[in-house]
Amino acid sequence: MSDVIATRTLPPSGASLPHFVSDAPFDPRSAEELTQAQRDIYLASQWRLMWWKFKRHRLAVVSGALLLVLYASILICEFLAPYNQQTVNTDFIRSPPQSVHMFHEGSFVGPFVYGRNFHLNMENLKREYSEDRSKIFPIRFFCRGDTYYFWGLIEGNLHLACPSPGGTLFLLGTDRLGRDLLSRMIYGARISLTIGLMGVTVSFVLGIIIGGFAGYYGGRFDLVAQRAIEVTQSLPHIPLWLALSSIMPPNWSPILVYFCITVILGLMDWTGLARAVRSKLLSLREDDYVVAAQLMGARPRRIIFRHLIPGFMSHLIATATIAIPSMILGETALSFLGLGLRPPITSWGVMLNEAQNINVVALYPWLMLPVVPVVIVILAFNFLGDGLRDAADPYH
Amino acid sequence: MKASLSVLSLALIFAASLSVSPVGAAEESPLLAPEVQAGKLPAMRDRLPQVPRVINLGEMGREPGRYGGTMRMLMGDQRDIRMMTIYGYARLVVFDDKGELRPDILEGVDVSEGRIFTLKLRPGHKWSDGKPFTSEDFRYCWQDVINNKRLSPGGPVGALLSNEKPPKFEVIDATTVRYTWDTPNPAFLPALAGAQPLPIAMPAHYLKQFHEKHADAAALGAAVKAAKVRDWGALHERRARHYRPENPDLPVLDPWRNRTAPPAELFAFERNPYFHRVDERGNQLPYVDRVTMSLGSTSLVPAKVSSGDADLQARYIRFDNYTFLKEAEKRQKYTVRLWPRGEGAWIALLPNLNTTDAAWRDLFRDVRVRRGLSVGINRRDINNVIFFGLAKESANTVLPESTLFERRYATAWAQHDEALANKLLDEAGLNKRDFDGIRLLPDGRRAEITIDSAGESGEEIDVLELVGYQWYKIGIRMFTRSAQRDVFRRRINAGQTVMSVWQGIDNGTPGPDMDPAALAPSSIAQFQWPLWGQYVESSGKDGEKPALPEALELVDLHAKWRRSATHEERLELWRRILSINADQVFTIGIVNSTLQPVVISNRLRNVPDKAIYSFEPGAFFGAQMPDTFWFADGTPGH
Amino acid sequence: MLNYIVRRFLIMIPTLLITSALIFTVMQLPPSDYFETYVAEMQAQGERADLSRIEFLRKEYGFDRPVVERYFKWIWGFVRGDFGYSFEYDMPVRDVVGERLALTMLVSFCTIILTWVIAFPIGIYSATRQYSWGDYGLTFIGLIGIAVPHFLLALVVMYFANIWFGISIGGLMDPVYFNKPMSWDKFNSILAHLWIPVLIIGAGGTGSMIRRIRANLLDELQKQYVVTAKAKGLSPRKTLFKYPLRMSLNFFISDIGDVLPAIVSGAELTAVVLSLQTTGPLLLRALQSQDMYLAGSFLMFLACLTVLGVLISDIALALLDPRIRLSGGSTK
Repeated sequence: MSDVIATRTLPPSGASLPHFVSDAPFDPRSAEELTQAQRDIYLASQWRLMWWKFKRHRLAVVSGALLLVLYASILICEFLAPYNQQTVNTDFIRSPPQSVHMFHEGSFVGPFVYGRNFHLNMENLKREYSEDRSKIFPIRFFCRGDTYYFWGLIEGNLHLACPSPGGTLFLLGTDRLGRDLLSRMIYGARISLTIGLMGVTVSFVLGIIIGGFAGYYGGRFDLVAQRAIEVTQSLPHIPLWLALSSIMPPNWSPILVYFCITVILGLMDWTGLARAVRSKLLSLREDDYVVAAQLMGARPRRIIFRHLIPGFMSHLIATATIAIPSMILGETALSFLGLGLRPPITSWGVMLNEAQNINVVALYPWLMLPVVPVVIVILAFNFLGDGLRDAADPYH
Repeated sequence: MKASLSVLSLALIFAASLSVSPVGAAEESPLLAPEVQAGKLPAMRDRLPQVPRVINLGEMGREPGRYGGTMRMLMGDQRDIRMMTIYGYARLVVFDDKGELRPDILEGVDVSEGRIFTLKLRPGHKWSDGKPFTSEDFRYCWQDVINNKRLSPGGPVGALLSNEKPPKFEVIDATTVRYTWDTPNPAFLPALAGAQPLPIAMPAHYLKQFHEKHADAAALGAAVKAAKVRDWGALHERRARHYRPENPDLPVLDPWRNRTAPPAELFAFERNPYFHRVDERGNQLPYVDRVTMSLGSTSLVPAKVSSGDADLQARYIRFDNYTFLKEAEKRQKYTVRLWPRGEGAWIALLPNLNTTDAAWRDLFRDVRVRRGLSVGINRRDINNVIFFGLAKESANTVLPESTLFERRYATAWAQHDEALANKLLDEAGLNKRDFDGIRLLPDGRRAEITIDSAGESGEEIDVLELVGYQWYKIGIRMFTRSAQRDVFRRRINAGQTVMSVWQGIDNGTPGPDMDPAALAPSSIAQFQWPLWGQYVESSGKDGEKPALPEALELVDLHAKWRRSATHEERLELWRRILSINADQVFTIGIVNSTLQPVVISNRLRNVPDKAIYSFEPGAFFGAQMPDTFWFADGTPGH
Repeated sequence: MLNYIVRRFLIMIPTLLITSALIFTVMQLPPSDYFETYVAEMQAQGERADLSRIEFLRKEYGFDRPVVERYFKWIWGFVRGDFGYSFEYDMPVRDVVGERLALTMLVSFCTIILTWVIAFPIGIYSATRQYSWGDYGLTFIGLIGIAVPHFLLALVVMYFANIWFGISIGGLMDPVYFNKPMSWDKFNSILAHLWIPVLIIGAGGTGSMIRRIRANLLDELQKQYVVTAKAKGLSPRKTLFKYPLRMSLNFFISDIGDVLPAIVSGAELTAVVLSLQTTGPLLLRALQSQDMYLAGSFLMFLACLTVLGVLISDIALALLDPRIRLSGGSTK
């Protein structure tokens, strides 16, 4: 600064100013010139921007990855579970979890479990188990174990991990019929995780259609839709669950019951989404681009589904993500009421309901472990939803 | 018939009760003493009947106790307060702990020809409000209630009918009434002694104010309006309800009377100052002054018991709570005992002989299929896994504690024999097998049985799970399906259910004088033959005529029992009925004498270490006479 | 404005009529009725229930009439304050519910207050320090409250409260205080028991409240006027409290529709597990045993409160924030 002042001192008063012409080529857009980084940002697509923003929510990224892994795992749960979900081991009823060891008396053995000694305490009618350190059962990997029908179709017996012959592998203990808890939890994931997705799909479709028409058309349609929303919301969920499941014919197959439950859960939950869609549309439909589309003769359906909804789809996805946990919890509540899924279908809700028992709390606490995946999945969905919502409006 | 001459006297009057010679002077309960002193209540001598029923505790191996204390119990909802009437078990006649009938509220009963019943009341016996209990109370009940079109549109029912005819009722004098039927009615006295008794006496002096015939029309109208009910009949019905003692004003004859008007969370029952039983020292029973029943979620009952919230509790505690309660026993002042349950089978499989599935119906009507399925079950294994080997592996029949018991009833077709099962099923036409070893029905379907369950007890589901594995080995695939109880019942009655799981006969310890209805087609509520039962129940108007000769014979034997006049006759009929049932395996019992945990406060005395726990007979705790239980630290009676 | 309120009132009538018809239908849906359920239950114990007696009772309670007639009778009674008769309790519905209502409201009020007291500061903290470890940590804790199924949590907390602190299991007071008039001891006993349900029911509410405060506040903080205020050098405190916080609290008002019925019904499932003497277990039991007038009238009562709550919140919002559109007018 001082240099400039020194060299470019003003001429003495009265003298003419020196003439200066820049001979560089004139670029009328020079003020708008962008750096490469800026260009990337300004020209990035909406989805790309969202991704950038989403990445800032570290937990959301982790959650998303975790959920991807979980959902991938339900495709192959037969392979992942060490036992078949229905395998009954009457010699190991309510056996506590076995821990995995690597070293036996200081020497490395690889992953193994100790044997179990069983003692029937006739004083208080309790099966007592203790670790038998003389027996070592290494865990086998990619091994042949219980036979299963992969997705109910292909017969197979390959497992990720199996117990040694003659040994057991109850990493999370067993239940009152000696069924392996871990295996049941793995199978239960298939049901619990999909129930949320399917339920949300139902409520998503309903919410968008009803909310979309109400918001765009307004007037009489809006009035009716609003009343429908109000009525649905003013009915408490539990009685509706009870009533709807009491009319479910008892001779339906467990699979059909499963679908029916997802629909019931979805039917209860569409109102929030419909309201969100409606209010968003009410404000968006006044925007210029909608008027433009109308003037060009686009039909309402095209305007709603082609222009308006994509405009806030990201919001909707975020909302839906946050709705999934409530579906998963809803399923546990249904099981609690005795209305949920029936054996042989196992879900986390069914297992938690079995654990909803003072005996379990006091004596067999490991049976409450299915609460862990429930909590993890719900947290993950919530963080993911948070991240998505923060990212949904990338132009902020 | 010789019966016209033979006079059967049924356990007339206690020798002891004739000569009351209490050791030492009888004492007043401290709860009542102030009122007696204040002159509000007559002295004990004047409150008791002239001839009270003396319970000789010494002879029973118990010790006379002291007054005082509150016995706390836990219940589910308000309807459960009927347990007080059941546990109290004061009846006109009662079954004693040996299953014999003996007079209780009555001083005696004379039975002639098995059809003329003369009931003798205790002179001076009073209702809990101090008003005399007389033959007028029987007359009122018979004429103004049972035979009133508004109150009982159907007229007399059940045990009040013999050969479908009602009795002739006579009042002999103030303390004697007589019921006379044309034909013998062996069901009458057991019905009076039931855990759920047949009411034939009501407090007339109290109820008349609600009866159209006796009350002042204007006052009754006002009362109906105040109670917000439709008419006097509805009001009377409510005020007179004794089995579920919701009306604190209703005079009763029970050991404790309700003092709480519903709705409430805690029902408090207080000793009936006019109760008719005394101990050998002349002290009026019950010893315990108050009984409370607090209501709450039934699933919490074990937890509450473990924290010492109950002094006597068995209801809502299941066998699998034993370990938990036993562990908590160390911290709490109670003891858990295991009483054998009294059902003929704790878990039984009931093939529906009236199912609409024709193939299964025909198979089930073939005795070889029923026997085959029964011997295909490994009862020992189930007993060990679920009941720690403590239950008894048995067919659905009477328990060893019953005088009618014979070993062969329990063991018939109850062994585990896969070879025999396969042979029987092959012979019955199930000899073709599918690729995986599952048998094929004659119509080509796979032999897959879906068992319906009311789905409330975890044990039931676990047992079925094990039976499923065992049947798989004899080529039968089994599925379970649970439904709510009412849906469950409806499906069975409509024939939609092929097989169901339920308890066996309710009364596993009957004597020959108890009705064998449960073992013969007699009611639509019998899940193995609902339509046959309905046919018999409706005298042929509804349902289907039993199609198996053995079932018809059972119907006939049961009818003969209903007409029988002598004990010996009934014994013979019972044996025949039990034999047929054992041989025909109409129901597949799995285990019985399973154990019921009973939690007893360490302060509570005279509760037996072991007794059969059943509704009928025994009224759960009733036959053990809770009025003789007492608290070691109750208010001193000496 | 007045016009708007009147219109909203008029709209309430058809909504409630539809709701009442729906509730009645739902009550009628199960193929059996109370009496059949009752018979089934009696038989489970070996008790007899005379079937002819059941027919008689059905007639007694008007079950032989057509459904439509019964519906109009019920709804007409409801309007006049006669909520029908409970079969199970054998007394008018109003008397059955009456006593439990006070305790339910006590639990609910405490829960709501606890929720606000905890959620408010945490929500503000999380929003102002987005993506900090504090934000993550507190959100995480809040979410745990949502994620653990309440019925299980309730059982565990109750069991250990008994083992460790000797608090009697279940209920809202020691059983000795049942049926007793309110006294200092009874009050203390209630307080000692109250914290378990309040904590457990509140856990879920707090979690979601934190999230909503955070989200709303974040939206507001990004608005231009906040940026302007900051740029003009307003103190951070003032920047936060003066407008954004107030604006972000609109959702409290729009929540009235949910809060009102929640106050009288309580959290049903938790209440059942804890065996509280609140209306929740009563309702659930009535639904299961098909005690239809008890269940139906109570549900209808809840529905009325919801609709009323929505009305109040709509009016309040319209008063507070005139920008909120009164209703969606037609496009053309």
